[in-house]
Amino acid sequence: MVVCNFFLQGRCRYGDKCWNEHPRGGSRGGGGYNDSYSRSGGPPQPRGGGGYGNRVWVNPSQQRGGYIQPSSFSSQGSSDWGSGRGGGGGGGGEGGGRRENLKSSDFSFSSSNRFSALDASNAFDKGGRGAAAGFGTAGDEDDDKKLEVIQADVDAWESSGQWGFSCYSTFKTPISGFTDLSPEELRLEYYSSRASGDLQGYLNGVNQLLSQWKSRVQELKIMNPSTRMALLAELKGTAPQSSSSGFGSATTTGFGSSTSGFGNKGFGAPAQSSTFGFPALSSGFGSSSTSSPSTGFGSLITAPTQSPSGFGSSAAPSASSFSFATPSADKPPPTASSGFGSASGFSFSSTTATAGGGFGSAFGTAAASPGAGPVGDVADGLFSPESKLTQEELNQFKAKRFTLGQIPLKPPPANMLVV
Amino acid sequence: MSLFGNASSFGTGGTGVFGSTTTDSHNPMKDVEVTSPPDDSISCLAFSPPTMPGNFLIAGSWANDVRCWEVQDNGQTVPKAQQMHTGPVLGVCWSDDGSKVFTASCDKTAKMWDLNSNQAMQIAQHDGPIKSIHWIKAPNYSCIMTGSWDKTLKFWDTRSPNPMMSLQMPERCYCADVVYPMAVVATAERGLIVYQLENQPSEFRRIDSPLKHQHRCVAIFKDKQNKPTGFALGSIEGRVAIHYINPPNPAKDNFTFKCHRSNGTNTTTPQDIYAVNAISFHPVHGTLATVGSDGRFSFWDKDARTKLKTSEQLDQPITACCFNHNGNIFAYASSYDWSKGHEYYNPQKKNYIFLRNAAEELKPRNKK
Repeated sequence: MVVCNFFLQGRCRYGDKCWNEHPRGGSRGGGGYNDSYSRSGGPPQPRGGGGYGNRVWVNPSQQRGGYIQPSSFSSQGSSDWGSGRGGGGGGGGEGGGRRENLKSSDFSFSSSNRFSALDASNAFDKGGRGAAAGFGTAGDEDDDKKLEVIQADVDAWESSGQWGFSCYSTFKTPISGFTDLSPEELRLEYYSSRASGDLQGYLNGVNQLLSQWKSRVQELKIMNPSTRMALLAELKGTAPQSSSSGFGSATTTGFGSSTSGFGNKGFGAPAQSSTFGFPALSSGFGSSSTSSPSTGFGSLITAPTQSPSGFGSSAAPSASSFSFATPSADKPPPTASSGFGSASGFSFSSTTATAGGGFGSAFGTAAASPGAGPVGDVADGLFSPESKLTQEELNQFKAKRFTLGQIPLKPPPANMLVV
Repeated sequence: MSLFGNASSFGTGGTGVFGSTTTDSHNPMKDVEVTSPPDDSISCLAFSPPTMPGNFLIAGSWANDVRCWEVQDNGQTVPKAQQMHTGPVLGVCWSDDGSKVFTASCDKTAKMWDLNSNQAMQIAQHDGPIKSIHWIKAPNYSCIMTGSWDKTLKFWDTRSPNPMMSLQMPERCYCADVVYPMAVVATAERGLIVYQLENQPSEFRRIDSPLKHQHRCVAIFKDKQNKPTGFALGSIEGRVAIHYINPPNPAKDNFTFKCHRSNGTNTTTPQDIYAVNAISFHPVHGTLATVGSDGRFSFWDKDARTKLKTSEQLDQPITACCFNHNGNIFAYASSYDWSKGHEYYNPQKKNYIFLRNAAEELKPRNKK
């Protein structure tokens, strides 16, 4: 058969229906475009951003070639336009800032339809939000695309029944809020806790992890503005990552990473209400003092060495846990975070209510409780009673976001959690 | 509560079958069943090297044991011996002369099993469960490489209790493969490191993972001159990436493909996506086999970028696979891989290892 030249270039319009031969291994990248609108012919337009490949349909009105600047234009303070963009319309509205200008009625020549695409296009609607994206950079379109990709990915992830305790990354950046846990690690945990008789701890732990994951997935699916901003910041590499960064990797949610045992119990040393900043110990686990012995998990890391066993020892619990987007994030009780880092949850062993069986502590749910203060305060477990919180702390919890520097060290009261 | 959403059960009527005699899909491919399989999930399989006459199969399982069978030419399998660890066995490998088997376990130790004397002694110690173990045979040294969840990669001379070398990794080791002089380790958080083993092991390159999700398995492939030239990396997201170390044209040569997913062409219902549990390359043809949580195995030709065959669905996930030294036998293990959590774990369910004749099915597709 004759080899299809278009296929080799990646532009065959017939795809599988093509009468010519499509040698496999060639032009895989182009295969996707068959049957869609033809490309705008010729080289891609110098749009600000990439994403060209994804946008097959090009609004002809946006092509530079056909655009002639009417003289009236220049008199209308077109200086903004003149600079750099040569005609604004291009690229479906890049640069949120510029778009603001467009929207204004300065453009009397909307009749020319040149910018009809812009006016009408939904790309424009994103202009408002575009503030987040850099001006004059690749443009909101691409960021939007990226966020859509993330949304689609997460959607598929959730509906496909695939393993959820996995990290996720796209566009070369890991997305925070996901931690890696292999099935073998989980299974080992199960076997160990079964052997030690503390199956409930395992179950609690797994449930915690699961709900963490689910809420993070929901966040990404819904993609409210604060999530968007956080994500975009991450994608651009400017995310606070503060705690997270280390976290991300460090999380080692460990199933004990090093020590098989989720022992954190070892971490005793509750002390740390640290919430942020020091991984510490698993606050919750701290309480473990009681439980520590149990668990059969082999080696206990008794010393509060933090680091080791993986649970995050790393700092800053924050984020990383499933539900939290980023430290700065929107959602309230980061408390969890504290625990999170450290001890990472699998303490399964801790029989005490605190920290939801260890797991909890690590993840969200206030494992921090110990942090709240005396470890002995086990009764409260994950949440602090309102009476124990100061007014400022309560205000912080009530607020939509935490203010840096005033983030409460104690977990929120249970009734304030919005699930 | 089921882990990760609606779990479609595997196969038809396969779950919870207690010795039922009705047609269950535990062996839809009608392959040879290995006798006396382990009592719990099989985590790893390894066939004996060509230096030994005959074919011997080793399997490590979650029942803390390592079993050895002799596979005869008529397909019969004869159980030969067994060794125990104090924790589930996660990795096994043979020495190059076929006299020793190395086993790695969650009890943080690795043992060397001398088959002639049927004695096993500990040769390695880590701070965490050891996930992978490989034998390295270099012109100027031989050693064992162990990768562990304690984030270290250690190299052991079997005669000494201290490691010859210990390399720090960014994260827990999830899988590794060795084909001298190259070693690849895939870690948690999508870490991917290539080591070069000439002279002494050292880190060669850290690679940006081509995959978006957790790494699950890795296998090195060789070029026509029998030199390792790249690897295949599988993730939990039903995808395998083929990555060359020094390709002439990375954008074109490296690629990923989807596998172990359900309803391929039907786009209306959400696809079920299964993890790729193991990848093995055919020693002669260079084609590869992947096995997944969906209970299927598939054969692929990475050069022609086509699929050669997909099996019927077994009622349990397939957790491990391996080719024998000449590529005539393909062994795969059918047991639960924990992909749906503890709720779907049935300790009574029988685990299987199947052997299939692989001489014909893995021939590469001729490129047009």
